[in-house]
Amino acid sequence: MNPWLKFVSKRLAGLVVVFFAASFLVFSLLYLAPGSPISFLLGNRSGTPEQIAAIRAQYHLDDPFLTRYAAWLGGILHGDLGQSIVYRQDVAALIGARIPTTAALVGYASVIILIVGVAIGLLAALRPGWVDATLRGGMTVALSTPPFVVGVLLILVFALSLGWFPVFGAGRGFADTVWHLTLPALALAGGGAAFLGRITRAATRGELARDHVETARARGLGESRVITRHVVRNALIPVVTVAGLTVASLVAGAVVVESVFAVDGLGSLLVRAILQRDFVVVQALVLLLVVTFIVINTIVDVIYLLVDPRIKA
Amino acid sequence: MRGRRLAAALTAALLAAGTVSGCAASRALAPLGAADLTTVTTAGTHDAGTITWNLPYEPFTLDPLKSFNYAENTAIANMCESLLRLKPDLTTEGALAQKVDSPNPLTWVYRLRGDVTFWDGTAMTARDVVASLRRNLDPAAGTYWGQYFENVRSIDASGPLEVTVRLKQPDVLFNKAMATAAGAVMKADFIARAGSRLGNPQTGVMCTGPFKLATWRSGDHMLLVRNDHYWDPALRPVSGALDFRFIADETTAVNALRSGEIDGQYFYLPPANISLLRLADQGRLTAGKSLVGFTLIGAAATGPFADPRIRQALLSATDRQAVSRVIFQDTALPARALASEEYWGYERTTFADAYAHLPDTRVDLAKAKALVAASGQAGKPITIAIQGSSAVHAMAGSILQATGRTLGLDIRIRTVPVEQYGNLYVDPQARKGIDAFFSTWYGNVADPLDALSTFTLGNRNNYNDYATVDAALRAARAEQDPARRAKLVVDIQRHVTEDAPWLPLEQLPVLLYQSKRITGATASFAYLYYPWAAKLGTP
Repeated sequence: MNPWLKFVSKRLAGLVVVFFAASFLVFSLLYLAPGSPISFLLGNRSGTPEQIAAIRAQYHLDDPFLTRYAAWLGGILHGDLGQSIVYRQDVAALIGARIPTTAALVGYASVIILIVGVAIGLLAALRPGWVDATLRGGMTVALSTPPFVVGVLLILVFALSLGWFPVFGAGRGFADTVWHLTLPALALAGGGAAFLGRITRAATRGELARDHVETARARGLGESRVITRHVVRNALIPVVTVAGLTVASLVAGAVVVESVFAVDGLGSLLVRAILQRDFVVVQALVLLLVVTFIVINTIVDVIYLLVDPRIKA
Repeated sequence: MRGRRLAAALTAALLAAGTVSGCAASRALAPLGAADLTTVTTAGTHDAGTITWNLPYEPFTLDPLKSFNYAENTAIANMCESLLRLKPDLTTEGALAQKVDSPNPLTWVYRLRGDVTFWDGTAMTARDVVASLRRNLDPAAGTYWGQYFENVRSIDASGPLEVTVRLKQPDVLFNKAMATAAGAVMKADFIARAGSRLGNPQTGVMCTGPFKLATWRSGDHMLLVRNDHYWDPALRPVSGALDFRFIADETTAVNALRSGEIDGQYFYLPPANISLLRLADQGRLTAGKSLVGFTLIGAAATGPFADPRIRQALLSATDRQAVSRVIFQDTALPARALASEEYWGYERTTFADAYAHLPDTRVDLAKAKALVAASGQAGKPITIAIQGSSAVHAMAGSILQATGRTLGLDIRIRTVPVEQYGNLYVDPQARKGIDAFFSTWYGNVADPLDALSTFTLGNRNNYNDYATVDAALRAARAEQDPARRAKLVVDIQRHVTEDAPWLPLEQLPVLLYQSKRITGATASFAYLYYPWAAKLGTP
C-alpha cells in the first residue's frame, strides 16, 4: 500500500471515530442539561398549553434521546445539517456566514503567534542576560493576562485614544478586514505567542547544550550554520507540536475576543447555541471543530516528516 | 507571579479610571424627572446617506408573528406596517386601514387604503391582510401575539379593500393591538412561498413600509434602503439607508458610539457606562416616554411569596428611589403601579386621580415588618431568579436580598443564563423552585388595561394564578365606553397594587443616543412599532 494513501486513510478513520465520540458526548450532555429552546419557539407571552404541545411535537423536543440523535445523524449522512430552531435558517447558512470571519481572525492570530512566538523564543535563547530576562518577563505578563483585559486595553489605547483602529466589527474586503481584525488578532494571539516563545526558548536552550552542537562548533562550523542546521532544526519538533495545538485551540478560544470586539464568529455562535440548546447548531459546530483539529494535526504530522526524516509516515 | 501582579495593577488602574469618570459624570448630571421625557427629536433636514444603527442583539427573525422583543421590533418597525399606527405620542391613528368601524361590540371592520403597494410594486388588498392576520389563529404557525387574538372567531375579506374581524366576546384590546406588530401586513403570496423560512436572513419579508430590506448578512449587518414609492408623504425617509449592526456587548457598543463608528442606538436598560454617553460631546442622549417597567414578577402559587403580605412587605421596604439612583444611574423613575403615567391614553383625569391615591414609593419599614409578622412566613426561603451577565439584575437582586434581611426574609438568588432566561416566562419546568424573577416588562398600547390584563385567570403570564381581578378584567376588556372602562380599570389597578402579584419597581424611559451627525429618531416607546427612522437626517 502506498504509504501516503495509508497515512490519509488512517487519518480519515481517526476523524470518523473522534467525530462520533465527540458528537455523541456533546449531544448527550446537552440532552441531560436542564433548559430548552422553548422560549425561542413561543416568545415570552403566548401559547396555550395545546399550542405549546403542538410546538414541542413539531420540533421533536420530547422524542427520546436516541431517536433525536439518530434523526440528526441520518440528516448528516444525507448532507443535511438541519435547521436552527432559534434562528429558523439552515445551519449550513448560519455557519457558512461566520466561517470567513473566524478563519480570518484565527489565521491572522496564528501568523502572529508563529512569527512572534518563534522570534522572541529564539532571541531569548540566543541572547542570555538582559534581553532574555526582559523577554521572559514580557512573556509571563502576556501569558497571565486574560485576552479580554488585553482586548479592552487595546481598544482604549489604539481605538479610542489614538483612533488608529476601529472599535468593533470584522470589516469587508481584504485591507478593511486586516485593519478591523488587527486588535482582535493581537488580543487573541498574546497568550499563544508567549507560550510558543517559552517552548521555543526551552527547546533551543536544550539543543544548545547538547553534544552534537559542541561537536559542530569544535569542528569549526560557523555559528549561524550551527544555529540553523543543528540547533533550530532539532528544536522544531516540540515547537511545531505546540504551535499546532495552540492554533487548533484558537477557534474555541476566540469566543471572548469575538465578544469584546463584537465580531460575530463561530466561537460566539457556539457558546450561544449551547446556552440556547440549539442542538443542531452545536452538533454542526462540533463536527467542524473536530475536522479542523484533525486537519491541523495532520499538517503538523506532515511537517514532522519534513523536519525529521527519521519519523515515518 | 510578577506578571499576575502587573495584570492586577493594570486592572486596578482600569477600574480606577472608570470610577473617576463615573464621579465626574455624577457631579455633572441631574437625575431624570418625568418632565424630561420626550416623544420626538428634531427632524433631520437633509439626507445623511447611510446611517449606522446598533441593535442590542441580532434579531432572531423579521417575521412580525414571532417578533415581540426589542431588536426584532426595532428593525421591523421601519419595514412592516400594521393596520393602525402607534404614534410617537403613544396615541394611535390609521395606517394601512384608513377607517375602523365597530358596528357592534363583536365586530371590527377595517377599510383599507387603496394606494398602498408592497416593495415589489404589487397592490395591497384585503387578501394580504387576511392572510397576515389569520396566521395568528393557526396553532402550527406559533404566534407570539396570541393574547390579542384569543377572542377572535374569524377574519375575512368583506370587500376588495375591506376586512371584517368577528369576535367570540367583545375585546377592546384587539383593535388597539392592530397598532403593534400584531397587526402587521405582509404580502399573501410571499407568506405562502416562504413557509417556515419567512423572516430569516435568506428569505426576508415583503411589506409596505418606508424602508425595504436590502440585505441581511447573518452575524454581520442588516441593510435597509429607502422605499421611494412609499404611500405616506409625511413619513418618506429623509435619508437613503439604514445599516443595522449587532453589538451585544454594551461596553463595546458605548465605545463604538463614542468613536462615531455607530450613529445611534436605543437602550432598554442603561449600559454600565451610560454617564459617558450623557456627557459625550459627540452626541446626545435623550430620554423618551415609555411603557417599559422594571418589575419583579411573582411566580409562586405556593410558599411564602404566594402570600400577598410578604409581597407587600417587600415592596414597601424596597427603596425604589435608591434603586433608580444606584442601579439605573438616575435614568429610571420609581413606580407606584405597573401601568405608569404614559399608559393613560384616555380619561387622563380618572387615571391621574387614581394614581395619586395609590401608596407612594417611600420606604415604610414599620408597615413591612408588621406585615411579615402577621404572615408568620419569616425565615422561609424565597428564591429570586436573575439574568446572568446583567449588572442591573445582579444589583437589584442584592438590594432585595438586603431588604429581605432587615425584614427577616431569607431571599436567595439564582442566576439563569441570558439564553435560558426567556424560558422562565413560558416553561413551568424552568420556573420550578423559583418564586419571582426580574423583568423589563412592557405593555404595547397606551391603556393600563393592557398592562393589567396579564392577571386574567388562565393567562400564560399569570404565574401565581392571581384571581382577584379576573372577572373585572373580562368586564373591562368588553367595555367599549372609555369613561366606564377607565373606572373599571382604576378599580383593578387598586387591587393589583395592593396585592402586588408583581412588584412594580421602576418606570424605565427609552434611552436614545444619536451622534451629532444625525437627528430625528423617535424618542418614545413607539420606536418598537412606528417607522422611527423616517425623519433621521443631518441636523
